[in-house]
Amino acid sequence: MIPLLILSPLILLAALGAVWKARPVHAALLLALALALNAVLYLVIGADFIGLVQFMVYVGAVAVLIVFSLLITRPGDEAEEISRRPRSLLPGLVCTVPVLAVLICSISRVTTPSAGEAPAFSVEQLGKALFTTHAPAVVTVGVLLTAVMIGAALFARDPGKKPQTPSDP
Amino acid sequence: MTPLSLLLTLSSLLFTLGLFAVLTRRNAILILVGIELMLNAANINFIAFWRYGPPDPELTGPMFVLFSIAIAAAEAAVGLAIILMVFRHTRSTDLNKLDSLHG
Repeated sequence: MIPLLILSPLILLAALGAVWKARPVHAALLLALALALNAVLYLVIGADFIGLVQFMVYVGAVAVLIVFSLLITRPGDEAEEISRRPRSLLPGLVCTVPVLAVLICSISRVTTPSAGEAPAFSVEQLGKALFTTHAPAVVTVGVLLTAVMIGAALFARDPGKKPQTPSDP
Repeated sequence: MTPLSLLLTLSSLLFTLGLFAVLTRRNAILILVGIELMLNAANINFIAFWRYGPPDPELTGPMFVLFSIAIAAAEAAVGLAIILMVFRHTRSTDLNKLDSLHG
């Protein structure tokens, strides 16, 4: 419980920075920090494998991808972002505060039949379940990831240039 | 406060922060940052209910999170590729400037 009480405010602070920072690169790096702290949270509450996957996929791939896209697209100056912030602040709060209120109200009302902590699972258990019960889902995700890889390469390719094959002189 | 309600509160706050980013940011990449935060909030819920909810020998919670992480990675890759394509055409990732379909 105590590690949770320490980690939760840190995650929230990092996420707040990612949402509020005007300079896009800072926001992306704070997102990476929030995702890494999230991975630590998973490790602390006993979902070791999920924590490691979160670290590899989110921090290692997604956050780095976002930082690289920011470097490629050279986002606009932050003075413009700060100047229009007061205009977008009120509509943003009007939309998000009711959502938060509904969520917090429902959390405080719900009583779940808690049976203590679930035992930690081994990677072997998870792998067996993945390749027996959930085998169709694993295959589907494999097809999805292949399609995504091809699609992203097609989208990101510069149509003006022909791709060079290694056999070209 | 039980650990379950603490984690649920954390995830609802994270979700709200992500929603706020999606609604107020103008840069398409930073909107993607908000979407990632919202997806993470959902993952925290799955793990919290698996750990502190009713016993679940089938490992449904961690399984859902694994697939959700895979799909979130796919979404980020395609989203950023589309943003790069838009940037190549308009030299901007500001969503307010993308109004060529505006009547």
